[in-house]
Amino acid sequence: MKRTLLIQLLFMLLAVSSYAQQTVSGTVTDSDGFPIPGVNVLEKGTNNGTVTDIEGKYSLTVPSDAVLTYTYIGFNSQEVPVQSRSTIDITMMEDITALNEVVVVGYGTSTKKELTGAVASVKGESIEKLNVPRLENALQGQFAGVNITANSGSPGGGQNIRIRGFSTYLNNDPLIVVDGVIYDAQGLASINPSDIESIDVLKDATAGIYGVQAANGVIMITTKKGKKNQAAQVSFDGYYGVQETSNKIDVLNAREYAVLKNEMVVSNNGTPIFDNTNLGEGTDWQDEVFQTAPIQNYNLTVRGGTNKSSYSIGGSYFDQEGIVGGDKSSFTRYNGRVNFTTDLTDNLTFENVLLYANEYRKTLPENVIGSVLYNAINNSPIFEVYDENGDFTYADGITDIINPLAQIANTFNEARTNKLTGKLALNWEINENFSATGRFGYNWANVKSRNFNPLVYYGPQKAQNTADDADLNPKMTEIAPGVLIPQLNSVTQSEQKFIDYNLDAFINYEKTFNDVHTVKGTLGTSVFSQSSEGIFATGYDVPYNSWEFAYLSLIDEKNFLNTNDGYQTEARLLSYFIRGEYNYNNKYLFSAMLRRDGSSKFGANNRIGYFPTFSGAWVISDEDFFNSSFFDFLKLRASYGVSGNDKSLDNFTYRALLGGEGDYPFNNQLANGVAIGTAGNPDLKWEETSQFDVGLDFDLLKGALSFAVDYYIKTTKDLLFQPDVSALIGTYGAGSAPPFINAGTVRNDGLELSINYKKNISNNVNLSIAYNLTTVNNEVTAMPSGLDYLEGAPFSVGANYATRMEVGYPIGFFYGYKTDGVFQNQQEIDNSPTQLDASPGDLKYQDINGDGVIDFGGNSDKTIIGSAIPDVTMGFNLGVQAYGFDLSAFLFASIGNEIVRNYERQIPLANQLAYRIDRWTGEGSSNEPRVTTELNRNNVFSDYFVEDGSYLRLKNIQIGYTLPNRITDNTGFENVRFYVGANNLFTLTEYRGFDPDIGSFGPLGAGVDLGFYPQPRTYMFGVNLNF
Amino acid sequence: MKIKNKLKIFLFMTLFAAAFSCDDYIDIEPEGELDAENFFRTPRDYDRALTGAYDLLQTSYLSIWIGEIASDNSRAGGESPSDTEGLHQIDAMSHGGINAELRNIFRWNYSGIARVNYIFENEDNLEFEGKDQIMAQAHFLRAYYYSELVKFFGDVPLIVDKRLGNDEVSSIQRTPASQVYAQIEADLLAAAEVLDWTNPVKGRITKGAALSLLGRVYLYQDKFDEAATVLQQVIDEGPYSLFPDVTTMWLLENEENQETVFDIEYVGVEGGSYGCFVCLEGFAAPGFHGIRQYSGPIYASGNSYNVPTADLYNSFDPADLRRDASVLDIVAFAEANPGVEYGTGDQHTGYFNNKYIKRQGETGAPDDDLTSPLNHRVIRYADVLLMAAEALNRKASPDDATAREYLNLVRDRADMPEITASGADLTNAIWQERRWEFAGEGLRFFDLVRTGQAANEIEGFVAGKHELFPIPQAEIDLAGAGWEQNSNY
Repeated sequence: MKRTLLIQLLFMLLAVSSYAQQTVSGTVTDSDGFPIPGVNVLEKGTNNGTVTDIEGKYSLTVPSDAVLTYTYIGFNSQEVPVQSRSTIDITMMEDITALNEVVVVGYGTSTKKELTGAVASVKGESIEKLNVPRLENALQGQFAGVNITANSGSPGGGQNIRIRGFSTYLNNDPLIVVDGVIYDAQGLASINPSDIESIDVLKDATAGIYGVQAANGVIMITTKKGKKNQAAQVSFDGYYGVQETSNKIDVLNAREYAVLKNEMVVSNNGTPIFDNTNLGEGTDWQDEVFQTAPIQNYNLTVRGGTNKSSYSIGGSYFDQEGIVGGDKSSFTRYNGRVNFTTDLTDNLTFENVLLYANEYRKTLPENVIGSVLYNAINNSPIFEVYDENGDFTYADGITDIINPLAQIANTFNEARTNKLTGKLALNWEINENFSATGRFGYNWANVKSRNFNPLVYYGPQKAQNTADDADLNPKMTEIAPGVLIPQLNSVTQSEQKFIDYNLDAFINYEKTFNDVHTVKGTLGTSVFSQSSEGIFATGYDVPYNSWEFAYLSLIDEKNFLNTNDGYQTEARLLSYFIRGEYNYNNKYLFSAMLRRDGSSKFGANNRIGYFPTFSGAWVISDEDFFNSSFFDFLKLRASYGVSGNDKSLDNFTYRALLGGEGDYPFNNQLANGVAIGTAGNPDLKWEETSQFDVGLDFDLLKGALSFAVDYYIKTTKDLLFQPDVSALIGTYGAGSAPPFINAGTVRNDGLELSINYKKNISNNVNLSIAYNLTTVNNEVTAMPSGLDYLEGAPFSVGANYATRMEVGYPIGFFYGYKTDGVFQNQQEIDNSPTQLDASPGDLKYQDINGDGVIDFGGNSDKTIIGSAIPDVTMGFNLGVQAYGFDLSAFLFASIGNEIVRNYERQIPLANQLAYRIDRWTGEGSSNEPRVTTELNRNNVFSDYFVEDGSYLRLKNIQIGYTLPNRITDNTGFENVRFYVGANNLFTLTEYRGFDPDIGSFGPLGAGVDLGFYPQPRTYMFGVNLNF
Repeated sequence: MKIKNKLKIFLFMTLFAAAFSCDDYIDIEPEGELDAENFFRTPRDYDRALTGAYDLLQTSYLSIWIGEIASDNSRAGGESPSDTEGLHQIDAMSHGGINAELRNIFRWNYSGIARVNYIFENEDNLEFEGKDQIMAQAHFLRAYYYSELVKFFGDVPLIVDKRLGNDEVSSIQRTPASQVYAQIEADLLAAAEVLDWTNPVKGRITKGAALSLLGRVYLYQDKFDEAATVLQQVIDEGPYSLFPDVTTMWLLENEENQETVFDIEYVGVEGGSYGCFVCLEGFAAPGFHGIRQYSGPIYASGNSYNVPTADLYNSFDPADLRRDASVLDIVAFAEANPGVEYGTGDQHTGYFNNKYIKRQGETGAPDDDLTSPLNHRVIRYADVLLMAAEALNRKASPDDATAREYLNLVRDRADMPEITASGADLTNAIWQERRWEFAGEGLRFFDLVRTGQAANEIEGFVAGKHELFPIPQAEIDLAGAGWEQNSNY
């Protein structure tokens, strides 16, 4: 001790003698410009140091040639030579690769080093930078193993989150937990992406702490909290952007249309439709329906804390109009957030989380046959938008197709959602080993909708007409034998309420024995209730045929057609869980857990399920024998466990419902009888997934470069089906159906790789690169007996199906004929397997079963012709910060998936895509089928309609500039940043449709494109201010 | 108490309120939902469930088709040999375990039985006036469905008084036909005991229906004494008599007459879809029997199913009023009605079923092939008379005089001379008479089988095999209980 003092004294003397002492002061801030209190500032090589105050300020007397070190947990340390400066402001970068970074796992936290499971994490700032309308948009490509596809590019449109493939043909939604509160995956639009602090995705069996809810993975979302001992900090973020369609489909113009349609009828000995085909460009219906539309978002956040409490309070406004329909397809969201934590006593903390959202959405028919875009693609270019009277034209002679602008003008609906999500939690640090948590989480949502169905006439023989003629006379409808009344315009209003709550209580234990044996335990219980109710009413005769007056309060109360309906339902889950962890010197780690779930959704014989998980890790780099200078960290992980999926199962499905048809005539009048509809099944239970995962984490280059590699095999059995059952059960009468049973198996396996590189090249230049890769192999390995396959999405109009679920193939694979080009001449037809109605110029189908005949009646010549599941998806993130400028870019690629082109209306007068210009016109001319009205089989579902859906997309690029402190210091702002950015700037793809990033509402409909509402290309300008 | 301690107690309470909650928490009933488990609370519920059990009677058209097509009376017909292929196989006696129509018979009747058993399962929930009437009809319906099953398949699993869960099927064996018959008899006796001879509500089961079906069931078991007794009771005590005019009897306007013992009711507004023939509710027989691509008077275009053979037509005495009432000779009809056009379907014989046929003014909606307002006349008084005659003639101590009397009542209506035979000749005369009287009504094949004439009369019929139809192979597999297939299939 004495010696140290002596040396210090000596150094000080030396310093004094050599260099002048000076005072250095400054402010330490984080990358957002917020001051960081409590940073250690030390003169290098000495004990001379200080700590920053609540405003991040420090002051220290040091020699003018000293080097200062700045250290703070969770941030990269910095060394800065004083070089005689009196003011040194420091921006500290958060240490993303830190091994002791906190990772949220179920009912507790862990660190990257201690994890035994496959968990992927992303921090809020990466999400914020992408400026996305919905949280899921930001998750795409961020994590290996997590695939996000869009249900629609329309404002407020839904997204699908799929973790490690499709495990069922029903519900593949992961469990989403926001600050400990269970959140509906489909309702994620309510969350403001800027409120996110971090997202952790539990991909493997270690998600099993959530038992029967965990089979599709768990996403843990943590919202922003304040920090203790921090002065109030205000930040404002805003951007304004302009959106346009990212793509247009190349269709025939009027001249090309006329030429092809003439050829079509002439080939069948008809009279040409157009005497003069020189019709010019005609109407480009896509130009007519697409428009540029604004998007804007503004956030205001205050956060800070005292020595006992911390808070984070925010509000935001988001508004997006549609690139189709503008205001008719729009989404507006207001968010409010209050996160508040306070120490009630020394060891008792109270936490309140409150998230509020108000959403307003309008939609147009989209992604269906008959959507606005479907009509825009298929309407004829020879029609004007308006006729000479200024009325919308009729798409005359094109069955099912209507003027898309008339459709937009006559579509009226709105949905308004109010949603409160919150948590009240108490955390008690009982002693240094035990802590107890009790929390109450809730979700309350109220959804009101209004839909106006005006009297409208789209033209002769249009099925969409609600009026009988152009004068809007109503159609008549029969309400009793011989009694006809007019069917007038109508309004439907509904109100639905969703209330969930969860009550969790758990005790955590942690103790280290003899410095090397660490034992952790978690024991807890949880109850979860999900209930909803709704009422719906439709009333007729809205005054003035007007949206403005379309309210139930104004309808004709006595109209015989008025209807109403309602529902209410609840599901409850009661769970107990226990987890034990042991690690030896942070080198050998083991974890075991068991969850017991009881659910009101399951039949009496299977009401309770048990879900065990085991996992372990070996930190090889901590072994004595391991002394590689190459690896800084090397860990091998493995996990195995069983979890369940209760989301595919509707409430009370296990019970028999009285939905059968039971009417029988007595006295020649039908009497209303009752019969069982879908039979019950007391054995009904969850879909069950067992998953094995092995992973390797390693860091190189002093932690700057980190890798995580995982391989998994995930097998889901006991899928829900309604296969044929024995007649004895009595489910084959009118309106009856066999019970749901658990049967069938789907297997997913895949490889996941993520690479992160982060480097402070100099004090003014930072570089970060992240890359991830995901592969999924999906195969259906068992179907229930009595059910050979399940059919999914329909192809074109009619009863043809494009997709199937069948043993030996990926779920939802495309099932149809294979083609071999087109028949070039009659001889080729004669020499080929017998193909009904074939003429030269028609598609030539392959005789798959080799019986010499193409089977159009049955399925024997159909086979797999594609799958919507990509072979590989990749994400690439680049971030560069240099001298106040920052650049970030995010690329996403999906490779090896196919898409079914299903937005062409296969009828004579519909418009066609421009590729049809290359039609077959004679021997050797083309391999594109001829155009003709002659009987042909070219429109059956074949690989001719299947396209490669691979794409590479620059999802986001942003260039920003942060004003230097010397300017901002005088303005009162801590930090000022401006940026310009673009989303979906370019997409490289061969796909002909609007957007290759096409999701669906279910695995059996995936990849079937009905004229997908594309995700817009957005240019934006934004600002981030901290003060 | 210090605030600190209060808070800790509060925390403890939240922690352990959850911990001590038990599995009762998840035992919840659906709110505002009528389901199978909480029904049968009011008398009306029983009545509605009974209506639902009646409802499945409406699939009986299949029984008519197979009962005719399997016999020497008619051919499968239709558009082509693959049009309802199962019927063509039955026609050719080449049917086996894979036959969609036979599977439909199996499914249809068990669905009806499940609907009846659902009522019996809840029989004791509630006591109320009139419940005996409801239960009596339920007894009848169950007997009817089982009588169809046992007639087609012989030994069939007997399930009574409860619904069956999917997991229970693998332990269910086929019950010997004698036991199934015993259950049918017990059900019918229970029904007959309560029901009245007449019911003001058209379509409701009566005592006469129950006793007549019982008579038929006895006859199928060669229980002639019992058959004679119950059938004579119907004749003596029942309100029935023959409809005088056989030539107009099959028109819609003459439905529900003094001869009606048991009709399955149709009103022509309920149909179904081609996707689910087993859930049809519109009486498909008339539409499907209709003349293919027909245009002309009286009739309407149909699908030329179940076309009568020349053998049947020629077996009639030309003077028999029933010949043209039962079988339409389209060639003759077209000659008599200039302008008539029609097409020929598969196995065109030139004859059509003239009892159940699509006629103008008698069509249903929305699809008049699938829907007809005609009733299926399951038991007519003429059948009661001829069954009684046969039972009296074949019982241990025959009463041929009464048997002849009944037989001649039926013959007289058709303008046929009296029969004076007795003994075996009388037996044969009665059997002959049944073919003529019930041509096209689906009884012929089963009459031939039960009287041992099938092998002689039906081409391709193998004795010891074709008396019963095979249990659908898919049902054997789905049950998974190791049922043995019927002999020689």
